[in-house]
Amino acid sequence: MAPPVERTDAQVVRDVLAGDRDAYRLLIRRYGDVLHAHAMRMSGSQDDAADLVQRALVQGFRKLRSLRDPDRVGPWLFRILANLTREHVRSPRRRDVPLHVLPEVPEERRDPEDDAAAAEIRSRLSRALRRLTPEQREAFVLKHVEGRSYEEIAAVMDLSVAALKMRVHRARDTLRGLLEEFA
Amino acid sequence: MSNDDLHRYLDGELELDQLPEEARAEIASEAASWDRLLDTYRTTYPGSSAPSWLEHRVMAEIEALREPGFLARAWGWLLRPRPVRLSPATLGLAVASVAALLLLVRGRSPVPTGGVGVPAAAVVYVQFDLTAPQARSVSVGGDFDEWRGSYALEDPDGDGTWTGRVPVRPGLHAYMFLVDGSKWVTDPEAGHYTDDGFGNRNAVVAVTAPTT
Repeated sequence: MAPPVERTDAQVVRDVLAGDRDAYRLLIRRYGDVLHAHAMRMSGSQDDAADLVQRALVQGFRKLRSLRDPDRVGPWLFRILANLTREHVRSPRRRDVPLHVLPEVPEERRDPEDDAAAAEIRSRLSRALRRLTPEQREAFVLKHVEGRSYEEIAAVMDLSVAALKMRVHRARDTLRGLLEEFA
Repeated sequence: MSNDDLHRYLDGELELDQLPEEARAEIASEAASWDRLLDTYRTTYPGSSAPSWLEHRVMAEIEALREPGFLARAWGWLLRPRPVRLSPATLGLAVASVAALLLLVRGRSPVPTGGVGVPAAAVVYVQFDLTAPQARSVSVGGDFDEWRGSYALEDPDGDGTWTGRVPVRPGLHAYMFLVDGSKWVTDPEAGHYTDDGFGNRNAVVAVTAPTT
């Protein structure tokens, strides 16, 4: 017997809109980790990241009918999360968690020889990222940590590619100076 | 080394052999440093997996969004507090009508204020405001409504500022805003705060009795 064919994103979206709410679980499983990783890198707090992702997914469900291209539900959910995260990071009254105060690295990723050096590098970059403006941090993280294309980031941040590149360049220049300062 | 060349190389717009020969070694070294730094950062950064309870919580919240039936909506409409706008003349006419009706029915003077129930003067209308452009609904709740969040605020002009007036007795009252029916938010503009015992802060409003 042939294995069951996995539903595409567009099929899942159509099923949810037709009343099969449970199908939304598939989208949570497909995109939850990616969304959480971004929220974590931007907020520096696991609690805040989980809260932001929960809000984004619920908001996505509520607005699902307004999604024009169901095949693009992943980037669409990411854009909702990015907006919420940006608002959260800009908020002057948010809980102020330094980015370098992070949970322990999972055990299986540890290499005893490189552990200290890697922790030092991560700490330096985290501290430096925290000194960027929220807009520069978001642009840098999306480009260099998450490896997204300029076109994709420009759509998420609602910027022209040229303006975005300028922002990333400024972020890199500032980071270079900060990394030397923290060395 | 030109900074612009470095950025263009890091952006993938230039190949190494398109760079001035004298700058190639320095730019390649700088790019390799970035790669090492970012690779270490990416591979050691924790928290990339969403927590296992996320799916359950999202689905529970979605389940709570189910459209209520006709009777539930009608009941909700009846119970939902909403501001009533009356001109002083209309209010006076209404009060006079009620007073006349009581006189007719009972054949004696109306019960003096304060004799039964809550004296009208003991309630003060307090204005609550919250700026929440992303919110779909905002209500306020506190110790004055047993934290039910039953007083809906409104954003009539759609500018993201939700506002409403709530009847509260004089005294100190803890309160929070309930955004989108599920998220409790502390008032960022409150004059005072108090710990709620669960690690969050409640806003506190001091309500004084009106002087006569």
